[in-house]
Amino acid sequence: MIATTKKPLAEVLEALQGCQKVALVGCDGCAKVCLTGGVDEVADLAQQLKAAGKDIVFEVAPERTCNVAKSAPILEPLKDKIAESDALLVLGCGGAVQITRHLTEKLGLTKPVKAALNSVGHMDTLVPGAKAMEECSDCGDCILNETGGICPVTLCAKGLLNGPCGGAENGKCEVDPERDCAWILIYNRLSALGEVDRLRRYLEPKDFSKGSRPRTLHIKEGRVS
Amino acid sequence: MKLTELFKQGKFVITSEVGPVKGCARVNGGPPPEFIKEALAIKDYVDAVNVTDNQSAVMRLGSLAGSLLLKQYGLEPIYQLTCRDRNRIALQSDLMSACTLGIDNVLCLTGDHIKLGDHTAAKPVFDVDSVTLLRLAKGLNEGHDMVGNPLTRATDLALGAVVNPGFEPMDLQLLKMEKKIEQGAEFFQTQAIYDPKVFEIFVRRIETFKVPVQLGLVIIKSPKMARFMNEHVSGIRVPEALIQEMAAMPAAQYKERAGEIALRMAREMGPMVQGIHFMPMGWSDLVPPIVTELRKIMK
Repeated sequence: MIATTKKPLAEVLEALQGCQKVALVGCDGCAKVCLTGGVDEVADLAQQLKAAGKDIVFEVAPERTCNVAKSAPILEPLKDKIAESDALLVLGCGGAVQITRHLTEKLGLTKPVKAALNSVGHMDTLVPGAKAMEECSDCGDCILNETGGICPVTLCAKGLLNGPCGGAENGKCEVDPERDCAWILIYNRLSALGEVDRLRRYLEPKDFSKGSRPRTLHIKEGRVS
Repeated sequence: MKLTELFKQGKFVITSEVGPVKGCARVNGGPPPEFIKEALAIKDYVDAVNVTDNQSAVMRLGSLAGSLLLKQYGLEPIYQLTCRDRNRIALQSDLMSACTLGIDNVLCLTGDHIKLGDHTAAKPVFDVDSVTLLRLAKGLNEGHDMVGNPLTRATDLALGAVVNPGFEPMDLQLLKMEKKIEQGAEFFQTQAIYDPKVFEIFVRRIETFKVPVQLGLVIIKSPKMARFMNEHVSGIRVPEALIQEMAAMPAAQYKERAGEIALRMAREMGPMVQGIHFMPMGWSDLVPPIVTELRKIMK
């Protein structure tokens, strides 16, 4: 999922300066999991904005706002309501904000689309409702087959490919003593799997051209450009 | 002079380390900056002097400028180069620049993470790791860049690397050391180590590697500094007994005791390997008497 955190209310209100009528678009996908933009959080922010003197035109939370297949059927019938709004405020990831903008443009409307959340990365839920962790960097050049299913590009603070730096202490990373050294995790995992010799192989540096932005996925061809 | 030549001659190679100043070192005829003074004080006692590369991720004068200054003052520099602040283009370019400017030795490191330094909001680069840095440096020595393009002229640099004998599990550190050797490391300087038993195990494990190694020794300046290193400097562990030994002295005698401890460590562990690398942390004046004593037993 794409993890999000809430922007402070003051920052949201500053973004909405001069906009009296506000339409709220949440996301009942990732943002719901992060407790930042599901139906409940949209209702909560609506209350706070009303208390701050704003008029709320509508509140919706498509199942996945970043996917037009889910957001268009909800937003398109609201064209007239969008037209009377001064701004749309999106409680979703940066992708959700921009898909909402795409949809308003497609409807022929030029409306400010504002973000109520900060996107903080591709994360995996470890403890529902409590903890998610970044484990994949979407580098486009996956090496998990070589590293026991543990990604050093993401979990090693330096993204090292050929073993640990010398800085780990008691199995913890030099950058954060609360965090396990990714390379010790990889070593232990490969040892347990009887594959520790994999670590003898030199891994070429990453081909960062595969991750150069912005990337486009051509779904039918399974191709990225 | 390449350090590798000294090792080939069977010399016990002694080096030390200085950290460039945080500031411009153009003194317009004035006295040289502090790190040059420090290096000059040990000039006749060491074979070469490392110049650190924005050590601990604290922004300072560049290690290439520092190395060149040392060279101009008649010292043999070991240019430290980390992957933290440069992508593969800059690393290769800087290696060619170093060789062009007369640098003969380079120490290839990953580099301390930016979070440990004084510009914590900076973007960490780490485009390549230290193993690949050695590989690309070897490539430049062979006359080609890392994508295979020929150079108009190859570099001629002795390639050093680092290893931490105190790392646990040691096997994992040794796997990386072997990779560094395979990719081009010609000599090693170790992270500071104060446990002779651990160092002996390490030395036995690397016997078959056939690569010269220098014992790394950070001079312990005070019990407070030792505890600070244990808590904040990655990869260094000062045993409590050593801290207590220091703490038993009045503060006025810390320096004397620091010299005694370093000499004791050097005598005990130095003969197991091919040299010693001192990291005096500003107390470079301790190095000459220690080296004078050491040279009586290690040539």
